[in-house]
Amino acid sequence: MNLYQVVELLLFPGLTFFVWLAFIFEWLERKTAARMQGRVGPVVTGPSGIFQPVADFFKLASKEEIVPEYSDRFVLRWGPALFFAAPAIAVSFIPVIGLQSTLFDPLDLLFMVFLLSFSTLMAGMLGYASAGRFSTIGVGRLVVQYTSYEVPLLLAMIAPAVLAGSLSIEGIVAAQSGVWYIALAPIAFCVFIIATLAELEKPPFDIPSAKTEIVGGWMTEFSGNTLAYVKLTKSLSYVFLSALAVSLFLGGPQGPILFANGVAQGFMYAVYFLVKLFAVGFIIFAIRTALARVRIDQAARLFWTVLTPLTLAQLAVAIVIR
Amino acid sequence: MQYSPENVMPFGPIHPSLKEPEYFKLILDSGKIKEVIPRIGYVHRGIERAAQDRTWVKNIYLFERICGICSFAHSLGYTQGVEILTHFEVPRRAKYLRTIVAELERIHSHFLWLGLVGHWAGFDTLFMWVWKDREHILDLEEAITGNRIHKSYVAIGGVRKDLPDGLRETLLKELVFIEKRARYYSELVQSEETLSIRTKGVGGLTQDTARRLCPVGPLLRSTGIARDIRVEDPYAAYDELIPQVQSSTDGDIACLMTIRLNEVLDSCRVIRDAVDKLPSGPVRNPVPRVVPSGESCQHVEAPRGELFYFVRSEGKSGPARVKLRTPTLANIMTAIEMLKGRPIADVPIVLTGMDPCFGCMDRVSVVDLNKSAQWSLTGEQLRQYGIEYYRRHE
Repeated sequence: MNLYQVVELLLFPGLTFFVWLAFIFEWLERKTAARMQGRVGPVVTGPSGIFQPVADFFKLASKEEIVPEYSDRFVLRWGPALFFAAPAIAVSFIPVIGLQSTLFDPLDLLFMVFLLSFSTLMAGMLGYASAGRFSTIGVGRLVVQYTSYEVPLLLAMIAPAVLAGSLSIEGIVAAQSGVWYIALAPIAFCVFIIATLAELEKPPFDIPSAKTEIVGGWMTEFSGNTLAYVKLTKSLSYVFLSALAVSLFLGGPQGPILFANGVAQGFMYAVYFLVKLFAVGFIIFAIRTALARVRIDQAARLFWTVLTPLTLAQLAVAIVIR
Repeated sequence: MQYSPENVMPFGPIHPSLKEPEYFKLILDSGKIKEVIPRIGYVHRGIERAAQDRTWVKNIYLFERICGICSFAHSLGYTQGVEILTHFEVPRRAKYLRTIVAELERIHSHFLWLGLVGHWAGFDTLFMWVWKDREHILDLEEAITGNRIHKSYVAIGGVRKDLPDGLRETLLKELVFIEKRARYYSELVQSEETLSIRTKGVGGLTQDTARRLCPVGPLLRSTGIARDIRVEDPYAAYDELIPQVQSSTDGDIACLMTIRLNEVLDSCRVIRDAVDKLPSGPVRNPVPRVVPSGESCQHVEAPRGELFYFVRSEGKSGPARVKLRTPTLANIMTAIEMLKGRPIADVPIVLTGMDPCFGCMDRVSVVDLNKSAQWSLTGEQLRQYGIEYYRRHE
């Protein structure tokens, strides 16, 4: 691994870039929701309050951390790092400034699936480790929700893989140079977005952390640094899943006008990528603002009886097209 | 009742979905609620006792502060009780103005409640929208009475000031806007899928349970028992501006939303009627500072239901005793009955179905069963009692 790769991995388009995107996503989400609800949202820190999530992060990280007496201190100490690691590694597999991603493996889509499951597992472990009454109920809901949305999510991710005949994100992006897979597999895209809402615990699926029912859900007992990183991880997962949707269904960083030259070409790729990323982000913001929270049994019923058969049908169509 | 501590989930006294402190011990059985044990009294403020130290007029402003939402209903209930004792007639114009403000308060209370249902169902957009529209009503109330929340509008013998010039047109214009929004919301709560699956069939209060537990207000009307104090025992100008009693038979939260939104529409009609028929004349009759001895009971239909006031005078400058019962106290056992058998996810939305106002409800009278004597404690005695109690129970 040479110096160039290290810079790519850590700065651009790697971790630092995506963490800043995560902050901007959080700001945009708050701003969009506020505008839809007739409010103004954050305005104080930075132009239009764009640095509010950054300020929130540092304020939270500098606060005293209260660890509950009966909690598992080891897990609470090191868990957030592992929890943060999952989306932090995953974003390196997304092609941004070219058709190549920073890290590559012929089977990296499977690795993404592993990282998504690992992220939920860590959330569950952190919730149980903090040993609160509300955390325990939150983890129970998290697990039920995970078992319901995982199958439709995976089936929705397999549809583009079948169409491209490849299990790597790079391969899937490269195969979309003609037609984007949102045109060939629209149902899979919709299901992916819905399952993303469930994975990110956004309304209508914010059941595991429903604040009016179970305080903070599995995050109830966290404070200070732990809470800051857990929140950042959730924002980063937000960006990661949107980026995955862009790569799998919207042709990744490809666009109509490209320059032959290296730097200008990379710039245009990044611009197209960001435009698509924010478009997917806005779809999620709009859905989460416009809906009420469902109950856990209603969510499970929706995923198992409606979305799973739909994605199976989509998969069959994809195989026929292929 | 036997239960293991693992099955107990505390709900309150401090909980994000409760805006006021109140404790509900939820006993769970495989995720469903088996039993609810309420513990009330966290916001007891000793208002009934405080009233005995104040003059008749000062008490209006004290009772108003029992509730930040239905403050006018409280001051109206008390004032009507005092007016009966003084045997003084209230001018007709004042009665109409009282009706207008009472109905405006009903609209703003129902809008507030609808917003909270949205918030508790995880639908913050509805919450923000409804509360934004509610600002229009608060502005109207400010224009009429001078204050948004604690209006201090009613006075013994009438109201404190007349309708300002030119407000009539603004009032009628705003009513059109409010009616439009109320119609829109009633369509929204029925058609919005995620909201209706959270509210349809949730609660499920039956008429038999209602008859057994005696709830009041919209909760009672949601079971098909159409009772409204404004119609049954008219006060203010309700004998001339007759409201329509809204009722339904479903007994669930969705039906409560419809009932309350229909009441908002009906209130708009009543206000418009009142503005059209508004008689001329004075708005306040002079009354003496000392009220003759006697007792009186008054009840008014607050936005949440029947609000009851008992006033006793011994011919002094202040009341000898005031007893009141707020709608929340009447409704709380019914809400608990509605919670049984529901999952935890339904707790906030069912509790909010009765439009709880725990601050209004909490008051105490110390009764020692062994001595069978009612105590009256000074603050110092109470402090000493508290210290000794905890010393004994250490």
